[in-house]
Amino acid sequence: MRAAHLVENSGERERRVDLSPTVEGGWCGRFFAMGSPCEVLVECTSGSEAFDLVGLAATEAWRIEDKYSRYLGGNIVARINSAAGEPVEVDEETSRLLGFAATLHSLSGGRFDITSGALRRVWRFDTGSLVPAHDRVRAVLSLVGWHRATWQPPVLVIPAGMEIDLGGIGKEYAVDRAVACLRDVSEYACLVNFGGDLAVTRVPQRRKAWHVGIESLRGVRQSPEKLIRLEAGALATSGDTRRFVLSEGQRFGHILDPRTGWPVRGAPASVTVAADSCIQAGTLCTLAMLEGDGAEHFLRRHAGKFWVTREES
Amino acid sequence: MTKQHGSGLSATLATATCTLLGTAAANAVLAEEADDWDFDTALLYYGESDGRVQDASLNVLANRQFTDDRSLSLGLTVDALTGATPNGAIRIGEAQTFTRPSGNAAYDIAPGGLPLDDTFLDTRYALTAGWKQPLGRLNTFGVGVSASSEYDYTHAGFNTQFARDFNDRNTTLSAALAIARDEIDPVGGTPLELSPMLDVGDLSNRRGAESKEVVDVVFGLTQVISRNTLVQVNYSWSDASGYLTDPYKVLSVVDPETGVTLPRAVTPEVVGPSHAFLYEGRPEERSKQSLYGQVRHYMNGKVLDVSYRYMTDDWDIDSHTVDTHLRWPVGTASYLEPHLRFYAQTEASFYSPSLPAGIPIPAFASSDYRLGRFQALTAGVKYGWRMRGDHEMSVRLEWYQQRGDVPADMLVGGQSAADVYPDLDAVIAQFSYRF
Repeated sequence: MRAAHLVENSGERERRVDLSPTVEGGWCGRFFAMGSPCEVLVECTSGSEAFDLVGLAATEAWRIEDKYSRYLGGNIVARINSAAGEPVEVDEETSRLLGFAATLHSLSGGRFDITSGALRRVWRFDTGSLVPAHDRVRAVLSLVGWHRATWQPPVLVIPAGMEIDLGGIGKEYAVDRAVACLRDVSEYACLVNFGGDLAVTRVPQRRKAWHVGIESLRGVRQSPEKLIRLEAGALATSGDTRRFVLSEGQRFGHILDPRTGWPVRGAPASVTVAADSCIQAGTLCTLAMLEGDGAEHFLRRHAGKFWVTREES
Repeated sequence: MTKQHGSGLSATLATATCTLLGTAAANAVLAEEADDWDFDTALLYYGESDGRVQDASLNVLANRQFTDDRSLSLGLTVDALTGATPNGAIRIGEAQTFTRPSGNAAYDIAPGGLPLDDTFLDTRYALTAGWKQPLGRLNTFGVGVSASSEYDYTHAGFNTQFARDFNDRNTTLSAALAIARDEIDPVGGTPLELSPMLDVGDLSNRRGAESKEVVDVVFGLTQVISRNTLVQVNYSWSDASGYLTDPYKVLSVVDPETGVTLPRAVTPEVVGPSHAFLYEGRPEERSKQSLYGQVRHYMNGKVLDVSYRYMTDDWDIDSHTVDTHLRWPVGTASYLEPHLRFYAQTEASFYSPSLPAGIPIPAFASSDYRLGRFQALTAGVKYGWRMRGDHEMSVRLEWYQQRGDVPADMLVGGQSAADVYPDLDAVIAQFSYRF
């Protein structure tokens, strides 16, 4: 057993990588980033080589977290959100992310919106939370909508009080970036898993495919664990059945439609999609969730392989 | 972009992803729900030349992978054996008659012919079950049972393995133990060791079923030498006790001057052996030790696998085996694998192609060609190809040649090596499918 540390001093949060051998004879590096437990599996026998590779992936994850987390001050997201209607010129990487978000907004007919975070001020999905009053939702809705933003790359202007949140694509983007970094420097087969969104660099030699278990969904009993063989590409999962509010016997899921400000009806308990890249898989998951009852129909039309779990009613 | 086809969204998404990541995805996604079970199936044909043993064998191994790397495996083998096998007597210029193992019929061998017992016909069923699981992060533990049955033989066995990784997983130490108990219930009873073959209908020298116990212990060390080289060393010890004799094998009792089998006084109107034959007899203990070394080397997609085994036992058999495989990729999904194996062994201390008359009968004697001094060569090639979804097929073709090397002092009178040692040529064809 080997535990190693890569400690980066970033404020109060300790950033370290723990490395341990896997039963298949490879290595697994674990760290925490973007609010999620992260792991990188490396199919190689040398612990020091594996450690370097995990460190590379972790460094990239932490870089993206520092740059785009809305919980951390002093980054580009904080600058945009505190610009009070003034134009903000963004760097090249941020410009690409905003461009991607803009494309998705138009592609989804406004359902996918990086400015929908303001709705969280009125909707809380913790246990015992209440359904907000209609006028409160209407009020906060005036601060939601990418169509209110002016995006002329590389300059973004959003109305004062509006905020952007790249959390909906940041983790998947980080997975794809980490995979690209690993593939650039190493021939070893690696699997990058950031909080359940994952992608692989290549086929492992020993077992000919990565075997990924989709956890039995939290809160959904008797949902059998599925094992997926992944030879190439990525998997992303959306859904958390614990997060809902009840009002007069009605259950409101946590997927909010930014066009109405209200939860989507009939959203599945969880959606898992396989795609070429993690960001594609994650986007398809989010869009499917936003379709509510029509999630399966949407996925049949637009996704290759997908798995949907619904709660038994 | 046509919405009807549903590809508009995914195409736009793919383009947007490409712009975002600065590259196209390196590989198209390949994902599917894993089957609960993996199956390894093989159909094998083994055929000896000159109408000797033919074996058609079906092998199915089912493996169920659970999470946390626990796995269950179940195996079934069905063997259908036909043909004839040398009964241990030597070739002579005269016709020979033998009582069948059942004791209720006889068979004839033409002058100059190799004495073969053609009643060799059997179907064998074998089952195995195994469970493997990690114990902590660095240990693997496994247990298994095995059983097989054929009309005169049953086997029951238990095995267990333990392995531990060290040194950043570059070293694995393993230990395995197997215990088996076999019951032998020969057709017509077990002949008394070194007693003469009797007339048809006379079962006075036969007794009931016999059994043996076998214990095998293996200690192994696997060491990663470099990224491309793996070395494995095993030491194994095996102890067998009980009935280790082959109840169907006999020895010819020969004239010490001429080397020809002595004729037997025949009772009129009774069918019986034409010459003097004694049933063989072996010691009731056998202890073997072997040392095995293997090097596996990867070079640019090719894999060279070379191994050597030295075995020695207290029956005085020493053997050397050199085995080499080279896996050569052909294209991206298939490979060609030539195989060459060389084997040589010395004879058992009680091996005797025939027994000269007039000297006391030894305590143990066998003329079984598998206990003699011989060399064997196997040459073959395998072609395998991988299909979508991890299915794999392969065909294997091999030739086996075994040549006796009878020590000159074991030949009596005018005997030649060809008279006393049945050389063997065989062909092996196998088709495997993994899904």
